[in-house]
Amino acid sequence: MENFDHILLLKTDCRTIADKQVLQCLLSQQPGIEEWNLDLDDCDCVLRIITYTIKNTQIINLLNQSGYHCCELV
Amino acid sequence: MRARDVDKEQLVKQKAIEGIVKHGLEGFSMNKLAKECKISVATLYIYYKDRDDLIIKITEEEGVKMAETILGDFDIEASFEDGLRMQWKNRFKYMMDNPYITVFFEQIRSSSYHASFLKSFKENFEAPVTEFMNNVVARGEIRKMPLEVYWSIAFAPLYALIRFHNEGQSVGGVPFKISDEILWETFDLVVKALKNVG
Repeated sequence: MENFDHILLLKTDCRTIADKQVLQCLLSQQPGIEEWNLDLDDCDCVLRIITYTIKNTQIINLLNQSGYHCCELV
Repeated sequence: MRARDVDKEQLVKQKAIEGIVKHGLEGFSMNKLAKECKISVATLYIYYKDRDDLIIKITEEEGVKMAETILGDFDIEASFEDGLRMQWKNRFKYMMDNPYITVFFEQIRSSSYHASFLKSFKENFEAPVTEFMNNVVARGEIRKMPLEVYWSIAFAPLYALIRFHNEGQSVGGVPFKISDEILWETFDLVVKALKNVG
């Protein structure tokens, strides 16, 4: 069985290019993130992060502190 | 831990192509696709980074599959008529077996994903098709001409017939259904147009 635990998927309210730029600042300061992207084309504005060290809750807290809402995408 | 499900991945690709053909690129979203496949949106995002990534990957994969089917038994050293006949046979079969693919590629070609389509075409088709054309020119079977001119005469009639067939009507709305007779009659005219006499 293949392990996908290193892919974090979050539903967010980051809807604009400006929001994406804020995320860029936040996530670039976070060690352990290999790759990330935000899908602005979808209604869930999915934030997808590749990381082997960070947990979903840490990212949720980080975004909440900057005024964004997000939760695990199920 | 999630398991990679090959059948599910296949279903995702098939439904994505169908969705894009039916609703256009504008009406296509990851959420709609997940619903169509009866899977969670999260599962889709495991395999694909986003909507763009999904469309680009499917375009590239389908380009490879199409090339494998069409060029699989194609001999670039064949005579002009035999080689072209094989190309027509393979392309016709592929498009009849995969009715959505032709429309899918047409939509991709006229969208911002055009570059992915071109990359796929260049990697998979350009070399054998050009080599075959150069070989038949070198043997004096057809005259030297730009690849675009060759392609337009050699294949555009086939694609026009298939489009009429898929739309169920031809010029002026006349009902149309392709047959072997019509296909090979058109092929003979194409050969006549391109082949050197004597």
